[in-house]
Amino acid sequence: MSDTLVLSNVTKSFDEFVAVNDLSLSVGPGRIFGLIGPNGAGKTTTIRMIVNITAPDSGTIELFGQRITPELQDRIGYLPEERGLYKKMKIVDQLKFFGELKNLKGRALSETIDRWLERVKLTEWKTKKASDLSKGMQQKIQFIAAVMHNPDLVILDEPFSGLDPINVELLKEIVLELKAEGKTIIFSTHQMEVAEKLCDDICLINRSRKVLDGSLRQVKESYGRHAVALRAAGGESVLEDSDLVARVVRHSDELEVSLTDQAEAQDLLTRLIAAGARITKFELVEATLHDIFIDKVGETDEQVTGSH
Amino acid sequence: MNKLLAVIKREYVERVRTRMFIIMTILGPFMLAVLTVVPGLLFSIKTGGPTRIAIVDQTDRLSNRVRDAILADKDDEESGAPAPGTAGGTMNANVKDRSKEAGKRLAANYVTEKIDLTGRSFEDVQHELNMRIGKDQLDGYIVLPKDILTTGKAEFYGRNTGDVVTSGQLQRRLSQAVREQRMADENISESRVRELSKPVEMSTKPINAKGEVGAEDSGGGFILVFILGFMIYITIIMYGQLILGAVIEEKETRIAEVLFSSVRSFTLMMGKLIGVSLVALTQYAIWGLAFAAFAIYGVAMLQSSGVAFTLPALPLSIFAYFFLFFLLGYFIYATIYALIGSMVTNAQEGGQVAMPVLFLLIMGFYLAFPIIRSPNSSFAFWASMIPFFSPITMLVRIVTQTPPVWQIALSLLIGFTTVVGLIWLASRIYRVGMLMYGKRATIPEVMRWVRQA
Repeated sequence: MSDTLVLSNVTKSFDEFVAVNDLSLSVGPGRIFGLIGPNGAGKTTTIRMIVNITAPDSGTIELFGQRITPELQDRIGYLPEERGLYKKMKIVDQLKFFGELKNLKGRALSETIDRWLERVKLTEWKTKKASDLSKGMQQKIQFIAAVMHNPDLVILDEPFSGLDPINVELLKEIVLELKAEGKTIIFSTHQMEVAEKLCDDICLINRSRKVLDGSLRQVKESYGRHAVALRAAGGESVLEDSDLVARVVRHSDELEVSLTDQAEAQDLLTRLIAAGARITKFELVEATLHDIFIDKVGETDEQVTGSH
Repeated sequence: MNKLLAVIKREYVERVRTRMFIIMTILGPFMLAVLTVVPGLLFSIKTGGPTRIAIVDQTDRLSNRVRDAILADKDDEESGAPAPGTAGGTMNANVKDRSKEAGKRLAANYVTEKIDLTGRSFEDVQHELNMRIGKDQLDGYIVLPKDILTTGKAEFYGRNTGDVVTSGQLQRRLSQAVREQRMADENISESRVRELSKPVEMSTKPINAKGEVGAEDSGGGFILVFILGFMIYITIIMYGQLILGAVIEEKETRIAEVLFSSVRSFTLMMGKLIGVSLVALTQYAIWGLAFAAFAIYGVAMLQSSGVAFTLPALPLSIFAYFFLFFLLGYFIYATIYALIGSMVTNAQEGGQVAMPVLFLLIMGFYLAFPIIRSPNSSFAFWASMIPFFSPITMLVRIVTQTPPVWQIALSLLIGFTTVVGLIWLASRIYRVGMLMYGKRATIPEVMRWVRQA
């Protein structure tokens, strides 16, 4: 099956400011794709180009194997970061309106609305005005508006921000259901924990450029840096060896020891034992997406500021 | 198409449902009546008892005439109101009529008192009268000097000289008394003079291109043009803000981005404009029906009670043109408001930027005057082709001297093309402007957006 979405060398600038620079990426069908990056990296601009709100200055975007058209827009569901509802309109009327804009109508539309309201546990709010709902509730309504027309591609811009943990779990569940139904999901976030748990593939962008992309597994494996969670008495001299240890971060009751590139965890363990340390915990820790994010973003920031 | 309908439906239903709409629809005609009638009424209301006027006659022979004139229940000048020359004159005349009506109601409200000098010096008498006014035993006094018949100068002293209705009326009645006295001195009868100076009545009848003479034109057409112009004006003031708000709404509530992922900005803009317009038309339809019912019922009632009254008859084609140009005028300005709405970030800001729109509208009104005088000049032609003015200027031409149909059609075509063009422009600006939050855009920025979008 061909890719759902392919961006080739896409560039978009606003006056002098280059928001997205020569970005290429592809999203496979039925995958959950995380677009991650710090604030202002160009995530939202990229997404706006995908949903055909703005056009790229150069480069091409192909959706379902074709160039984007207004008709294709109906196959996308989009939850923007800047979101709102009509304050004085009843929830059910708003959802009907959004549904009609996606060419749903009549009984099918009403039934869909009821089903979704039930799914996000807001049935009793159906005839209330949007201004009566809490922020989190409104966000769930907006989420419904993005997915109710059964789109093949769902794009969620920061879908979890501002939600309580229970609703984050609920939304994650729904996203996984959508994936099970074969839909492709793209979401942007800067919450790395969420991205790590949900994404099949990620693309990290910083300062309008792609820093790395690929499946989560690949990304983690290719990111060679490793660390050890250590709880031990004695052996301090070993940790001071800069050939072996790059950095030590002291947590409440344990140490996080980052090893240098050429060092092996095994070496550290033997050296510690040789030094007579009493070890109660020694655990290899895989780099988290969070670590990768901080490291890579810091690296590209340095390159950019260094080149000036 | 479905999407356009969805946008129109939402705009319409959400607005017609609001309490504001229902209240305005019920109170609108009432408020209009209040606004036009109440100032006249208020002006005519005089609180307190009759005005007590003393007459200090130094000529010894005028006081009776002056007293009679003041106590009379109408002025000499009031009997011959100037014939309405232009529609504008008619409107002013209405105001004048009302203030005269008010004056009539005042007539019975004078009490006069003759003051004889009887050997006292004028200063003594004046001092005494001043004291009485101070004690609120008198409201004012008129001094008729000995030489009033030749100089035509008198004096009025009063507590409230700011009451222009009273002082104006006193002046008119005093002049009348003096004029009568002068004529009596020359042995000319006042009634004879009035008879001889009766004005000529001229009836005006239009001749059309085929050389046929039409029915007498009482100037009703002009009045209708101005009523229509006023309706456009009022509607734009009332609904301009609403359209501005409707366009800004999605920016302020941050819904625009969701909408743009489903619907083209042109469709959205068009839908909004049509939706809000339907709200306005609904309101007018309700008012129109209410007025028609009232007119039919009221006229029937008047006629049955023996009052001869008919509604002015106008050819049907004029009504059709009225409707078309009303729509055009409404849409032109509604689109301008939409355009402004697309450039600004909130309603308050929009209100400020929208001010010049009213100047454009008023300019159309002013252009109507030279056109009334020469409706077939090339100036009139061009003025009626400019879309921002044509709703008023072309109507004036149609009413005065109907231009060839192609000119009317061309004017409408230019107008509605402009509307679509403006919507297109507004939708582009809206789409790009929505993505840049914060400050209001400058004109060069807006130009760039149009190219970018």
